[in-house]
Parts: sequence; structure tokens; C-alpha cells
Amino acid sequence: MSEEGLDVLLVDDEAIVGKRLKPALTKIGCRVEVFEDPREALERIHQKTFDIVVTDIRMDEIDGMQILEEVREKSPRTKVIMITGYAMMAVAREAMEKGAFDFISKPFKPDDLRKVIARAAEALGSPLDFGFAETKAS
Amino acid sequence: MNPKESSSAPEAQEEQGALGDRYERIKAAEQARKALLARRHYSLRLQIYLGFFLVLLFAAGIATALVLTMYQVEDKLRFLEIVNDFMIEIQQARRFEKNYFLYGTNLSDALENVYKAREISNRNAEELNAILGKRSMSPIFPNLEQYESLLEELVALKREDQPGPRHARRKKEIEVALRKHGQKLVSVAQDLIAREKAALSKTILRSRNVHIYALFFLLIFMAANAYLLGSRILGNINRFMKYASRIAAGDFSPITPARSFRDEFTDLALAINQMLLELERREAVLIQSHKMRAVGTLTAGVAHELNNPLNNITLTAHMLLEDYETLTDEERKEMVEDVVKEADRSRDIISNLLDFARESGAQVETLDLKELLEDTIALASNQIKLSGIKIEFKATDHLPRIHGDSQQLRQVFLNLILNAIDASEKGGKIQVLALPADEPNYVAVKVIDFGKGIPEYVLGSIFDPFFTTKAKGKGTGLGLSVSQGIIAKHGGKIRVHSREGMGATFTVTLPVTTLPAEMPGNERTA
Repeated sequence: MSEEGLDVLLVDDEAIVGKRLKPALTKIGCRVEVFEDPREALERIHQKTFDIVVTDIRMDEIDGMQILEEVREKSPRTKVIMITGYAMMAVAREAMEKGAFDFISKPFKPDDLRKVIARAAEALGSPLDFGFAETKAS
Repeated sequence: MNPKESSSAPEAQEEQGALGDRYERIKAAEQARKALLARRHYSLRLQIYLGFFLVLLFAAGIATALVLTMYQVEDKLRFLEIVNDFMIEIQQARRFEKNYFLYGTNLSDALENVYKAREISNRNAEELNAILGKRSMSPIFPNLEQYESLLEELVALKREDQPGPRHARRKKEIEVALRKHGQKLVSVAQDLIAREKAALSKTILRSRNVHIYALFFLLIFMAANAYLLGSRILGNINRFMKYASRIAAGDFSPITPARSFRDEFTDLALAINQMLLELERREAVLIQSHKMRAVGTLTAGVAHELNNPLNNITLTAHMLLEDYETLTDEERKEMVEDVVKEADRSRDIISNLLDFARESGAQVETLDLKELLEDTIALASNQIKLSGIKIEFKATDHLPRIHGDSQQLRQVFLNLILNAIDASEKGGKIQVLALPADEPNYVAVKVIDFGKGIPEYVLGSIFDPFFTTKAKGKGTGLGLSVSQGIIAKHGGKIRVHSREGMGATFTVTLPVTTLPAEMPGNERTA
């Protein structure tokens, strides 16, 4: 963390998720990289250490659990936030046991994710200026 | 036509079809009932009674004949006895007569015997007359009377006791006449006895023959009656066994008349026809409830899959709201378009399931098997994705079309696919193949999994109702049983091939349609 803000990697095979969340997170001071293909995301994770990784759990070929495991192995400091669907509480719990920071259930509002990221930022020791989102959400 | 109209029209059509189908069934059953009852009544009971009555009648005839013969025999014996007694007296008289002529003694004894003989013949005159008739009686009495009067004359001569030449000559004359009449008398009686004995043995022989022939005839008659009755009952039982196996195979069409008369089996046929209506109604309920269970299973996948478009809509709408003022018109338009697109996607996810879940009566049409299987796989796709299993589908090009109820067939294939998913490990795969079957004019659909396989000792019972290997509450054990029923109704078969540890292959064979291809559109718009 050389400069202000957090490095965030977001992976979800639903294109719209990345398309909408990128500006939403950029606004609160994150540098966001978005991937639809979990394989490409993994490659990028090996290249660069992110502060926060947001990943969908259910994806084809490589799922969120595998990304979680690789991130935890590479950089224990990185906070991993899992996106789950309803009726996947068992999987979410398993993710928490494996060291995920938190999980968030689809469908969620942009602010829901922003709040989790804010908490992750605090945990990382570099709180975000979250005023903008806070006033909007109230 | 806009999509809304086109989706509601077939619905109404199908509902009408379902009602129409039920009505048709009841009408067919009613027609069968009328046809069954329209025939002449000839009950089994009647045939049994008739048989026994004829046997009784015959037996009574034989018994009467035998009783009459017995009376005849009795009469003849009695007659013989009388004639015999008569003869003994006559013979005795003759013996005394001889003594008289030889030694001059016993003349009165001879006369006494003749009186006794006369008494016998008089006492039994009626009976003798009855048996012999007047004609045959006549030779006995004149001789007897003459013999008697000659003896009396001899007694008178003896009493005079004046021996002289006239006397001696007269005695000689009487002796000659006595001998002649005596002999005649004996020979007549002997002849009579001989004749009656012959007649008696003839009567006994006749009686014996009547016994033998009657027994023989009775045996033949009873055998014929038993054969007719037996073949009638067994034939009908066989016929109903065929009905039973036909019904068990899923053919619920009513029993129609097979003979020219009606009887107790007609009542049975009527009861079975009534049962068929009820069975069919229950089967429809069973199929529907099983389908709803499959829908329940699919709903979890659908609900989960719906999260994606819903999440996309939520995110897009919130960002649109948040950044409304700062966004360009172009960006706003793009976001609204995304919302519309995702809403459409949600509708597609649900509509396939709703289409499948909708209750509808059996509607038979020509179907493209490949299309049908693609629809079914699409229906199960969320479930497949949720389980992390891959599905491979291959269909031979230009497969002949089949004839059937698309909803019910989709239900069968869905059931097989869901079973295959349950049997597969996470990350496994399922294959669905559509190809021409080994037997001509049939197509086969194979659903193959690579799971644990089915142990040999349960293979025999997997199609039984309520048999399940799944955990309590996971399966009803009706899936394969219902599927088998549906496929049987379509004239096909489900077979299973499995080895432990090698996965399982379920093969459904269905007859190809031999009717000229109908225009599927016609039914819908008619």
C-alpha cells in the first residue's frame, strides 16, 4: 500500500456485476480490477498482491473456494470477501472456516458490499473515507 | 400475435384437451358397458344347472328302467316258483300213478297230489294268467282236468272191485291215457320253466347291459359337460389374465365384448372397466404429484439461478439511482437496457419450469426427440450447475419422430437425469444419448452416469413402487415406477444396466411414429 486507497480484485462470471461495482468501489477510493474469467483472475493474483479480493463462490471450472485457498496461501494479509447465493449458507460457513473475511449474499446492494469493504479496510489499518456512501445510504 | 397471446392460447386449449380426454374415457367405458350388456344372457349358473338337470333326468330314467326290470325279474322268479311247485306235485302224482300200476298202491296219494297241483294253479291263476296270457295257459288245464278225471275214474273202478275183462280193458285204456296226459303235463310244465328261465336270463342280461351302457353314457356325458364348463371357465380366466397383464402394462382401455353372450364374466368385465376409470384417474394424480415433486427439486436450482439476474438488476438500479445526475444519457440508457435484459432472463429461467409444472391432460402429438431432450436438459440445467456436474448430450442426426405426450416424456427423462445427478460425485459427468434402438422402428435414449452404480441385489426392485435407495425424505421411490408406467403407455420400455462402481445406464426405447407426420401447428390453432 504505497499510495492512498486499496487494491481490490473482483471476480464474478456475471459481466454486469463487475460493470456496476467497478465505479461503485472506485468512488470510495478503491483501485478496482475486474475479471469475469476466474482463471485470468488467478493469474493476476499470482502477479500482484491485492488488499481485498471479492469473489463469487459458484463459477464454472474454478470456483470461489479455490480462489480463496490460493489467495490465503499467497498472502495471508489479503481480505477475501465471498459472494454467495441464497441457500448456500453451508458453503459460506465453510468459506469462513477457511479464512474468508466475510460473505455477502446475492442479491445485494452496492452499499452492502461497500460496508463490508469499509470494515475490511479498518481491519487492514487504513480506514476509507466512507462519508459519501454513508450519506447516500441513509 | 404477440408473445402474451400465444402463451395463453395453448393453455386454454390444453385444459380443454384434458377435460375432453377424461370425457372420452368415460364415454368409451359407457359404450363398452352397453355393448357388454346388449348380448343374450347365458350364465355359467345356467350351464351348471342345465348340466346337472340333464344328468339327473338321465339317472332318473335309468333308475326307473332298472326298477321296472327288477319287478319283471321278481315276477318271473315268482312264476318259476309256482310252476316248479306245480311240477313237483305233478311229478309226485305220476310217481304214485306208476306205483299203482306196478304194485296197485298209492292211488289216493296220486289223486291228492293232483288236487294240490290244481289248487296251486287255481290259487295262482291270476298271476299265471297275467304272465302267460290266456293263450299259453290253456294247454295246462285241459291236460290237468283230463288227468284228474282219469285218476278219479280209476279210483271209481277200484272201488267197484269187480274184476272182469271189461274192467281190465278199461283200466288198460285209462293207463295209456293217463301216461299220455301225464307226460304232456310234465313236458308242458318243463317247457314253460325252460322258456321262463330263458326269458329271465334275458331280462337279467338286459338289466346288466342297461347298467353298463348307462354308466358309459353317463361317463361320456359328464366328461363332455365338464369339458364344456371347464373350457368356458378356463378360457375366460385366461382372457382375464391377458387383460390383467395388459392393464399392468399401462393400457387402460376398457374391456369390450369378446363373445356372443353375457354371463358372470361380463359382470367381472364391467367391474374391471369401472376399476380402470378409477385407476386411470389415480395414475393421473400420481403422475402429477410425482411431477410436482420433480418441480420441487428443480425449484431450488431455479431459485438459486434467479439470484444472478436479480443481483444484476439490484446493482444496476441502485447505481442508476446513485449516479443518475452524473451519468450521460447513453450510460443511463445502457443501464436500463441491462435491467430489461436481466428481467427477460429471469422470465426465461422460470417459464420453462412453469410450463413443465402446469397441469395438463394427456395430449398425444408427434415429437422431435432431440428437441424434447434439449428442453428437458434446459429444465434441469440449474440443478446440474448447482451440483457442479457436466452434462453431455449427443443425438444422431435425423432421428425419426416419435408419438407421445411431451409433458409426460419430459417428466421421465427429467427423472432419469435427476437420478443420474444424485448418483454422480461432484465434478462428475452425465451423458444423454439419443440414437436408433437395436430393434427396428424404435429409438433409444440412454442416460448414463458414472457414479457408484447399482448393486446387483437391488437391480431387480428399482422399478417397484416405493423402492428407494435415497435417504429418508429425499426420494419417494415413485420416480422409476411412474416413469415405467408412462413409457409403457407409450409402447416402450425402460431397461437398466449397471455394475457396482461402474455407473449406471438407463435405456428408454420408444416406438417411432408410423403415422404421417402431423403439422404440430394445426392442433394449436384449431
